[in-house]
Parts: sequence; C-alpha cells; structure tokens
Amino acid sequence: MSFVWRKRWFLLLFPLLLAASVWQIRVETDLNAFFTATDNEDSRLLSALLKSGELSRRYLLVVEKGNRSNPGNDAERNASSLPASAALDAFSAKLVEKLAQIQDVEKVWPANEPPREWIDAIRTYAPYHARLFSLNPQQDASTLFDPGKLESRAEGLKQALFSPQGGFVKAIAKQDPLLLSLNGFKDMQNQFQRQANLKSGGSALILQSRPAALDSDAHLRLQAAIRSSFDALNQSAGEKFRLSMAGVPVFSVAAQSEIGRDVTLVSVVSSVAVTLVFLLLFRSFSALHWVMMVQAASFVLGTLATALIFGYVHSLTLALGASLIGICTDYPIHVMVHCAKHRHPPLDAARLLWPSLAMGGLTTIIGYAALGLTGFPGFEQIAVFALFSISASLALTRWVLPALLAKSTLHSAHLPGIAAWAGFCGRHRRGLLSLFACGVILAFFTLPQLRWMDDMQKLAMNMDQIKQQDAAVRAHFSSIEPGRFVLVKADDIETALRRSEAVERRLITLKQAGILSEYHGLFPWLASQALQADNAKVYAQSLTPQFQEAWRAGLVKAGLSLDKLGGLLPPIAGPLRPETVLASPVRHILSGQMIEGQNGIALSIWLGEHDPVKLAEGLAGLEGARYFSQKDQLDQLAGQYRDRSLLMLAIGIAIMGLFILLQQRNIRKVVLTLLPSVASVLFIFAIWALMGEEVSFLHVIGLLLSVSLCVDYGIFFMDNRGEDSDVTYHGIAASTLTTLASFGALGLGKTPTLPILALSVSLGVTLGFLLCPLLIQKPAR
Amino acid sequence: MKYGLWLLLALWPVAGLANEPGLAELLGRIRHNGSAEFSYQETRKLELATSPWSGRGMMLSGVDGSLIKLQLQPMRVIMVITGQRMYYWDPEQKQRHSGLIGQAGAAGEEITLFRFIIQGHTEHLQSTYDFTHQIRGKAWHLRMTPKPGLNDENAPTIEISGDEDNTKRQVLIRQADGESTEYQMVKTAEGPEVEKSIRRLLLEAIGD
Repeated sequence: MSFVWRKRWFLLLFPLLLAASVWQIRVETDLNAFFTATDNEDSRLLSALLKSGELSRRYLLVVEKGNRSNPGNDAERNASSLPASAALDAFSAKLVEKLAQIQDVEKVWPANEPPREWIDAIRTYAPYHARLFSLNPQQDASTLFDPGKLESRAEGLKQALFSPQGGFVKAIAKQDPLLLSLNGFKDMQNQFQRQANLKSGGSALILQSRPAALDSDAHLRLQAAIRSSFDALNQSAGEKFRLSMAGVPVFSVAAQSEIGRDVTLVSVVSSVAVTLVFLLLFRSFSALHWVMMVQAASFVLGTLATALIFGYVHSLTLALGASLIGICTDYPIHVMVHCAKHRHPPLDAARLLWPSLAMGGLTTIIGYAALGLTGFPGFEQIAVFALFSISASLALTRWVLPALLAKSTLHSAHLPGIAAWAGFCGRHRRGLLSLFACGVILAFFTLPQLRWMDDMQKLAMNMDQIKQQDAAVRAHFSSIEPGRFVLVKADDIETALRRSEAVERRLITLKQAGILSEYHGLFPWLASQALQADNAKVYAQSLTPQFQEAWRAGLVKAGLSLDKLGGLLPPIAGPLRPETVLASPVRHILSGQMIEGQNGIALSIWLGEHDPVKLAEGLAGLEGARYFSQKDQLDQLAGQYRDRSLLMLAIGIAIMGLFILLQQRNIRKVVLTLLPSVASVLFIFAIWALMGEEVSFLHVIGLLLSVSLCVDYGIFFMDNRGEDSDVTYHGIAASTLTTLASFGALGLGKTPTLPILALSVSLGVTLGFLLCPLLIQKPAR
Repeated sequence: MKYGLWLLLALWPVAGLANEPGLAELLGRIRHNGSAEFSYQETRKLELATSPWSGRGMMLSGVDGSLIKLQLQPMRVIMVITGQRMYYWDPEQKQRHSGLIGQAGAAGEEITLFRFIIQGHTEHLQSTYDFTHQIRGKAWHLRMTPKPGLNDENAPTIEISGDEDNTKRQVLIRQADGESTEYQMVKTAEGPEVEKSIRRLLLEAIGD
C-alpha cells in the first residue's frame, strides 16, 4: 500500500476507533475492583463485604454544639429556651426527618434507639416464643420457668401494659403472655441502652445508605446532600451546631478524590514531560504531532480492548496506562534517531530496526504479562492494556509512521555526556568490571538484610486527618468494629446456624470474662431448627399444671385477664424457617451478616471492642468458625502478592531470555543482553537493604517492569542494527529519558502505589542504561 | 333556571356549615396557646386488665407546644413530649427512655394524637375525623369519629367536653378494640410560673 493510502486509512480509522471507545468504554472507579483479589474464597468474601455489607454502607453522624451561636428565627429562639441537651435532641430529630427524605438514604435513626422496622419485626416473633426464647434453653429454664417468680412477672406485665410501650407489649402478650419471645432480644435492648448511657455530649445518628460502600460517585453526592440538609437546618438554628461524619464511605470518597487527582496529574505531567523530551530531542512539531497521534491510537486501542475483555476500564488502569505512552514512544524514537543521524528515510530505518523493535516490544509484553499473573487484580487489566497498546504501537511504528513522517524534517539533538560515558566505559572497562564484580558480591551479602513490608496499611493512602475524625466520631458510639468479626461457614444454612449458635454461646462466656464488650449475632432473628426443637422441648416440659396454676394466680393478683392471658399454649407446630424470615423485612437487618456463595453459606458475627488474641484463642475448637480480621487478611494477601511477584520476576526474566535465545541463537549474547537489567535489580535490592527500606510486592512489580524495559536496551545495544553504537546508545538514551519522564510523573501521585512504581522503574532503567556500555562490549563498527 | 341550579350547588357547602352553628367558635375555645397547668385524674380500661386503673397528677402545656404529664399516683412518673421527641422517667424503677416520636410506630401516633387532644389542636385532626358538637347552656360536648373509609382501622373515637369558662375539661379516648382512657382535668395555673415548672420537669426527665 502506498504511503498516501496508509496515511488516509490511519486518519480515517483513528477517529472511528476513538468514537468506538467513547461509545463502548465504562470507566470503573470502585477501588475494590482494582485492589482486592478474587482468586481465593476469603478475598471474595472480603470483596463482597466491602461492596454491599450493611456496616460498610453505614454513616455514623454526630451532631454537637458548635462554637458559634447566632440568634435564629422565632421557633429556634423558643427552642433555645430548652435545656442544651433537649435543644440538641430537638435539632437532631429535625435532622433525622430531613435526612430520611434524601433519595440515597435507606433509613436513618438515632443510635440509642432501634429503627422502627426492627420493633415491628420483633412483634412478628411472638407466635414462635416457645421455640426462640433462649440460646441455652436448659440452662435458662430454671430462671424463666420458676413458678416462684410468676407473681412478679405478672405484675411486671401489668406495668408494661400501662407504660408508653403498652400497645407494643399488648400485641405480644396476647400471643405470648410470658413475653418469652422478648427474652432473646434483651441483648439488643441492652446495646441500645448502653448507647443511651454514653452521655458523650453529642447526638449520635446512624444513616444507612443505599449505594454500595465503594460507589464513590454516589457517596460523594450523598455526602453533599447530607451536608446541605444539615447546613439548611443549622442556619435557621443560628448555626449553633456542627456535624461530623465517619464510616467506610467517607474513606472511599476521600480515596476516590485523591485517585482522581492522581490520574489527572499523572496523565498531564507524563504527557507534557514526554512532549518536552521529544521536542528537545528532535525539534520537530510535525514529527511530535504524528508520533503523538500514533501513541494516542495505541492508547485508544488498548483501552478499547480492555473494555471489551473486562467489560470496564478502571481509572487506575488509565493512570498507569498513561505511563505506557513513554514506553511506546521508545519505538518511534529509535526509528527517528536513526533517521536523523544517518539521514535514512523513515521506512528504511523502520525496516532496519524492526527485529530489535519487535524483540524489545515482546520482552516488554512478557514483563507486563508476568505483572498480570502476580494475582493483583488491577494488574491483569494493565497487562491486557499493555499487550494491545504495545502491539499497536509497534505495528504503527513499522507500517504507518514512515508514511506519516515522509515530509517531516528531523533534527537529532546531541545529548551531552552520552558518548563520554560510553567512551569512559570502553577505556576503563577492566577496572570498572572489577568494581562491578565486587559490587555484585557485596550486593549478594546485603540481600539477607532486606526488610519485607508485612503491613498492607502502609500501602494505603495517608488519611490521618480522616482517621482522627473517624476516631472522634466513633467515641460517641458504643460501636461494633467493622473490620473484624467471627466468620462461620457451612455447606447449608442449618449447619451454619448451629455453628453460629455455638459461637454465640462461646462469645457470651468471653463477654463475661471481659474479653469482649458486645457482639451482634443472628439469634434470635434466625435460629437453627435444632435449637428451636430444644427450646420447644424445654418449654413443653416446663408447662406443668402447677406452673400454669401459679401463672393464673399471678395474673389474678395483678388484676390481669385470665381469659386473655391465662392459657399458655403449646409450642407452635412447625419451626420458624430461614426462608420465611428472609422473605420478611428482617432480611434487611441481617443483610450484612449473611453471604451466600458457591461453596455454601457464610455468617458473620459482628464484634464490639475486644482483645483479638484472646478472642481468637477463645474460639478454638469450634467447627467452621474463625476470627476474621480484614487487616490480617489484607496483610496475608500482601505476603501472597510479594511471593508471587518475586516468582513472576524470575519467570519473566527466564522467558525473555528464551525469546532472545531464539532470536540470537547464542547463549553468551543472551546473558550479556539480560545482564544490565538483572544487575540493576540486584543493586537496587542491595540499596534498599542497606537503606532499611521496607520492600513490598509493589517494589518487586516495579522492578519487573524495569527489567522488561531494560532488556530492550540490551537488545538494541547488542543488535546495533545501524552499526553505529553511538547512534544506538543515543536512541537508548532518548528512550530512557521518555521512560523517566513518564514513570517519573507517577512519583507525584499521593496514592503510595504510584511513587513506589515510579521509584522502582526509574532506578531500574537508569542503572540498566548506565550498565549497558560497560557490560555489553562496544560492538565493532 | 340553569344559572340558579349552579348557584345552589356552589353554595351548598356553605349551607352545610351553617347547620353547625358554633363549631368554629368551640374549636377555637378549646385550643391552648399559652402555658397552662391542669390537675388530672386518669382512668384506663384495658382489654387485658380485669379492673380499671386510676392515676392522678399534673398536666403542663407550654408555649412551644411541649406537654408534660407528671403522674403522682400510684407512683411518680414523668412523660415529656417536646418537638419531635419524647422522654420518660420512672424514678421508682429507675427507668429512663427517650426517643423520636416518629420512630415509635403506633405508640408514636398515639402520643401525637394525645398532644393534639389535650392542647386542643383539633385542626390537625380535621382531615381524618368527623366532628359533631352540642352546646347546652354553659356545657359543651365535642365528638370526633374516624371518617368512614379511613385506612387506619385502629383510630380511636374521641370525646371532649367542658364548661364555658374552660377551667374544667373531660377527655375520653375510646380505642377500636374497646380500651379507653378518660381524663378529668381542672386548670390550676397559667403563665410564666408554669414555664419554669416545665423546664424543671424536662431537666429531670432528661436526667441533666
């Protein structure tokens, strides 16, 4: 095909490709999709909990008296005559009403009282009182069915009927005169009472949102709506109050905004830096224009392919993908350096360099493929993105770029120091090689000192301010710790419930021992059929004629109706089945505690303040149950990622070596080609070991990338297709500069992942570039 | 002829109101806007209790719409309704509760209704209740029955009666299931002193 038609086809297809991408692409901002692996069951569980868990979707709100105080409207001036705490309560009540009207709010309630739906749900358990009155029916029977206490229980019932909760108690008492069904809910009542007794000086509210915790866009809108509702009310109250928020969505929105900033910053700085380096080298806007179009087409093709394969593209893939522009620019740069220096037409230069370019591209793809296999889900996307972008860039450089550059004039800048360094290496090769050998030996000795990072939290963003706010808000709540719980697994729901009940019995003991402050289990919302049968048996045995007579006597003494309350009925025929419970509004109450998977069912029991070690020990021996810590799980994942990334580093290097061997058919050349990159990895590990840097799997991944890039330098230097090593080394220098420009931009990111990758890759390519002329003997011209 | 018929139809509702002379005046009379204190005697008949229960105490109504029921017999209990919240304090049992009226379900609806009735804010009930009244000499009687077709089957019937100078009042709330509560109230004080008492009792109920 003629140059004219190649150019026309490119100019026609590029906008079409761009349009297809815009139409097809769905950018995902959910951090969970990028960071949490889904290749083992625990990871999937963690992922599911983060995505939709009830606790993860909750906001903890605290309204406190602020420092400012302006006179408000008449109503508020009246309210100001109320005692301070009543004024705060009145304001919170209005806020609850206003917040409940926001579309993304499922419900909102004061932390010291259960939501109305819970109270209504409790009433539906009255017919099952004989099957659900206790977790330990045998043990509790002596207290619950003590005939001697029936007189006082009848009197208590009377008082309850005449109290403000009389309507609620009456509805239960007509079906369950002994109020046995309320016995199981006592713990829940105590938890709310503890919250009421906290007296923290603020009004604590819980807001259950509808969007998943990590749907940052939805939560950003919701948080703005919450603030706006509060501000409107507070303004009319004379700005006397202030609002604080905490919860997983607060962190996810903050993280999202940081990542958004990073994506923009990295993309802009990386593009500008690569452009400047390019202009500095070739001083041609025309060439810049065409090369950028080639890179843009490669980027769009990579994005489109990723979107088609995964169904979405993560915003972090785009950010890290932007750094690929710097790598892909290497291929046109090598062609252009040869064109400029030797005055070759671009097509001849592309043909001449094609074997080296193809091999260089292949090794880079191998590096990214190894990256994709490290188990870090986000990198799978980046690997696919790299495969298509690099392939597109290579193909366009070989077949389209010469047509685009046909009329461009290139000026190749002479980079100071490049020839001098190559010359210095040539002149002092023996001495420098001895130095290098000593360095290698010393580096090996330092490796045992290498410190591995075990705490994945160190890779998280620095959110100290939000963490402090979170701690301040949580101080107002007698709360459950969202990241730690007891996990119960089984093949079926009945077994899972039995195991969960065994855990709850153990937790009661641990609570009595002071190891645990409180817990949220599933009983009595859900109970196994076995426990229901035990309850029914104990109940039936306890309803002796003497017991019934004592109850009736108690009712008479209290002045209560014998007709309506005197008949204690036998247990209801069938058990309360989980499917019945889960078809009722109770499913919302339990939604964060039940996860159904392919391999069975998992139940979570939420924990209050506790001693992790003693609690984990306390659960020993319980089948299917274990203490689950989100932090421990993430740390374990970090360890797995690190081991796998080290393995992939080794496998990646081996496969690159294999491909180079297939091309070069000379083992010495293979070793020499790989040596600069492998040696730089060794030196970087040694430097980190000496500096005491904690090395994470991200550091290793960065080095893997740097190897895949440095091997290209070795290939070009070894091949020396232009038979002019100065030109080849200038080409390598130019591509090192663009790589540094693009990966260096990652260092500006606040997400710790990005600076780590920037440091590893930049160090790796710089050392690799410097070692090339030393380790690979200058080929004869 | 057509014009005359149209005029008759248009004026029909006005003609209907004209059949209830004094209702608007009566509704205005029973409404409390200022602070007032009443002594009360309460008699409750419950479906599950064999005999009526009686209690006595003070009822205090504030300018801002707060209502305090201070039960003195058979035991001292304070119940406060202020804004959208309710506070309950039983010193003998040492039980203290507080909560949003809107979160309390049926109990919350009863409390809201109770406040409207005691403070005479019957305008809030006009959409759900039919009003009939009688005035005989100095005595008056107002009966409110749930409108037919109302979704709430448990809505109670309410009867309020009193005298001309509005110092004595009887309120009878009869539930759909037959339970009833009757209050005999006598106004004992009004003005700023009542507000002070309201504040004091509110603080006690909150526990400050």
